[in-house]
Amino acid sequence: MFNELWSDFRYRVRALLRRDDVERELSDELRFHLERETEKYQRMGFSRADAERQARLAFGGVERAKEASRESRGTLLLETTLQDIHYAVRGLRSKPAFTVGVVLTLGLGIGANAAMFGIVDRLLFRPPAYLRDASTTHRVYLSEIESGGNTRTEHNTQFARYLDFLRWTHDFSSIAAFQTRTIAVGEAGDARERPVTVASASYFDFFDARPVLGRFFTAREDSVPVGTPVAVLGYAFWQTEFGGRPDVLGKTIRIDRGLFTIVGVAPDGFTGMTDQGVPAIYTPITAFAWALRGRDYSKNYNWGWLELIVRRKPGVSFADATADLNNAHRRSVVTEYALASQKLDLDATKPKAILFPMQLGRGPEAGQEAKVVAWVGGVALIVLLVACANVANLLLSRAVRRRREIALRLALGVSRGRLIRQLLTESLVLAGLGGVVGLAAAQWGGKILRALFLPDDPAGGVTDSRTLGVALVATLGAALLTGIVPAVVASRSDLARALAAGSRDAGAARSKTRTTLLVFQAALSVVLLIGAGLFVRSLQNVRGMRLGYDVVPLSVVSLNLRGAKLSPAESNVLGQRLVETARAVPGVTLVTPVASVPFWSNEGRGLFIQGIDSVRKLGRFILQSGDTNYFRAAGTRILRGRGFESTDGPNAPRVMVIGDGMAKVLWPSQDPIGKCIRISEDTAPCTTVVGVAEEMRIRAFDDAREHTYYLPFAQYNDEPGAIFVRVNGDAADYSAAIRRALQPLLPGAAYVNVRPLRELIDPRMRGWEFGATMFLAFGGLALALAAVGLYSVIAYGVAQRQKELGVRIALGASRGSVVRLVVVGGVRMVVLGIGIGAVVALWAGRWIGTLLFNESPKDPVVFGAVAGVLVVVAVVATALPAFGASRVDPNVALRAE
Amino acid sequence: MDDRLDLPQGTLDLLILKSLSLTPMHGWAISERIHDVSRATLQIPQGSLYPALHRLERRGWIRAEWGASDNNRKAKFYELTRAGRKQLDAESDAWARLTKAVALVLDMG
Repeated sequence: MFNELWSDFRYRVRALLRRDDVERELSDELRFHLERETEKYQRMGFSRADAERQARLAFGGVERAKEASRESRGTLLLETTLQDIHYAVRGLRSKPAFTVGVVLTLGLGIGANAAMFGIVDRLLFRPPAYLRDASTTHRVYLSEIESGGNTRTEHNTQFARYLDFLRWTHDFSSIAAFQTRTIAVGEAGDARERPVTVASASYFDFFDARPVLGRFFTAREDSVPVGTPVAVLGYAFWQTEFGGRPDVLGKTIRIDRGLFTIVGVAPDGFTGMTDQGVPAIYTPITAFAWALRGRDYSKNYNWGWLELIVRRKPGVSFADATADLNNAHRRSVVTEYALASQKLDLDATKPKAILFPMQLGRGPEAGQEAKVVAWVGGVALIVLLVACANVANLLLSRAVRRRREIALRLALGVSRGRLIRQLLTESLVLAGLGGVVGLAAAQWGGKILRALFLPDDPAGGVTDSRTLGVALVATLGAALLTGIVPAVVASRSDLARALAAGSRDAGAARSKTRTTLLVFQAALSVVLLIGAGLFVRSLQNVRGMRLGYDVVPLSVVSLNLRGAKLSPAESNVLGQRLVETARAVPGVTLVTPVASVPFWSNEGRGLFIQGIDSVRKLGRFILQSGDTNYFRAAGTRILRGRGFESTDGPNAPRVMVIGDGMAKVLWPSQDPIGKCIRISEDTAPCTTVVGVAEEMRIRAFDDAREHTYYLPFAQYNDEPGAIFVRVNGDAADYSAAIRRALQPLLPGAAYVNVRPLRELIDPRMRGWEFGATMFLAFGGLALALAAVGLYSVIAYGVAQRQKELGVRIALGASRGSVVRLVVVGGVRMVVLGIGIGAVVALWAGRWIGTLLFNESPKDPVVFGAVAGVLVVVAVVATALPAFGASRVDPNVALRAE
Repeated sequence: MDDRLDLPQGTLDLLILKSLSLTPMHGWAISERIHDVSRATLQIPQGSLYPALHRLERRGWIRAEWGASDNNRKAKFYELTRAGRKQLDAESDAWARLTKAVALVLDMG
């Protein structure tokens, strides 16, 4: 069997590579045969001529025998394919402008898809590197119905919950808890904030990874509640910080405030579950949490900071596993409430555990980016379709122009199948070149996309095998889409008519095909541009939104004391000195300590009000605190009453300012000023409302249930969360100066962080920013393609109708009316496209609505603007060739042909 | 027509292999030999011989070499390979069984 295959292969290769030799040998062999046969007949007494005729008769057709022999060589298909490719390349080289245009068009389409796929794959499809058997692993989400009736679903939970799950579930072979956070690593001066994964020892069971050095930490080192302070280094961190030296094992490294002993190094490319930044270090939860909290954190349910992943035991179904986890979760919730001696109504809150795929982008808390990316991926596909429609149109025009040649070839006996194959080969060659250009574009564009969108992404390079596969599929799809219509249309051409008609376009059906493609293109451009418009408006809305504080001039100063123990008094003094020193920095106008920082950290306390059953039910109330400068420093406007004054000291009557939304929720029809709110406990003394101010957007841009209240810092009785520093101008320009001024005030290993507030807020806008940018880029690309397509079709049509137009002009039609004739024809197509596109956009709006910000997916302004842009583009694209048409000289036009 | 038979599908290969089992031959000699040995009963269109030869060569059952013919002209000689000999045995065997079986069925009536 093998010998036969090998012989077969050798034979075919020789037949292919030494084709001329093989052909000559075949001729020689057949000639020899015929000569012998002729001689035979001559010996029988035939004349030479008769003998030759007899020999040929006995042999049958020589050419047929040759063709059959060639076929039995088994290389015919390949040979004709090579011939087709050769033919296609020759044809394309003779029309460089056409070829370059088509290749670039397809290249952009394919490149857009490859680049987008890289991102979509990263966020939605690809499981984490090294993950073992992804089909049995899940991420755990916990949901409950909040008092307001909303269902809240979160993937962050408490360590005590994790212990409950370990204790009370049976269907899982592993459960792991982890969190990746940014933590100061290194000694005082050299300390840098780095991503550190804090994980249970079971975390590593989920991965098929072996440490390149040492070992991962063990369950013994992850003992509850006090773990052993050991650390496993990330590969990249080991390379950059330790030069990849093997003697790191046993050394110690300072992580936050504790000293950890290095026991191993993770393999290259291992990032665990994180999708933000490559972890520099992995360390046991119990060691880290103990060092951080300094007390037993493992029994209470207050600190929800961990993420959970689980692996089902073999043979356990998804449904059974979910039920098992749900049981454990209910039990855990009951325990939690009992511990806090709170009443629990399981039927009302319906706590649930839900399993989702490992990728956060596929869970219920999928960031807006993940959803936008999925949409933009679809958009990339549409751009490819537009590009294909354009190329199909060009190829169609070309096929029509080549009708005479094609008809001739058909007349000479080339089979239609072969002809279609030849034309498809041509589009395959074009698409192949387009694919190469596309990959180059994706490589370059992918970097920009990533920088824009996945700035912390650990994996590099768009051109992994999955992306290459997608590019290949896109290329083949493009070849088929662009090639099939022109090929079929061309091969169906009516021989006699085509030969008689010359290259003039006689077939109405063909121009109908082109018109359809054009309308289709226009419609797709409209859909994309409407999408772009909606996202641009959303971005405008979110940027222009009043957040309740200023962004650009504010800097956030936070401290990391790293274990430096300060008494409350010392801490107070330090806070005072920091505020005073910051105020002295040139350019700084106002400084205030604060309790909460937008999109970073927030404080909350129980509120009790006479006459209101449960304040909690009415919303989420976030505490902000600041000194007498607070409202001016933050730029928060006082709407009624007053702000804080120096008389609101620690011993003065307690006062507060509440947000306008909060006022409306608590006292819908009463004046809030003078009302009494008790903080923390319902027996606490009254805190009197003295003013109403703007509310801060702290956790989300558009959560109507989120409210803010403000307490004077002197009465806040807690350490500040951070310090707001307001500058003249852009806070980013002052970060370094502020840090330089403040760092010397800090004791020991402690250090100061200065960040412009904008850095905390901008990432939250990234989804809209990305949507707006990408829709705009792709929509613009689609529009440009459609415009070029329209132009070339109109120009071509005008060229075809030269005679007709000439006649019209000769008969006295004004040039203006000729222009109008051509333009109206083109614009009519585009208007049809606008109509179809608008309908599609309205229909798609149902899904895209949730991704927009304060923007209706039916916004008439956007629809109108897009329609206007398209009409203008259509008029320009048709007017250019139309003016050319109006200059037709009737004499020349009529004499042509 | 006359009493000459057309070849059933596939038997040409067998005849070629059998002819070559005695001595290497060129194409014309093979056609002559089949013609002679079958006492002119088997009708082979000579043109169909060559595709068959090329097919057999591709499968590795025969090997081709250019040599001098009896009257000293260049001719392409084919000879059986080891695989070809095995194939010949297998196919003759199958053929014998087939004809016997067909004969049995025909004799039954």
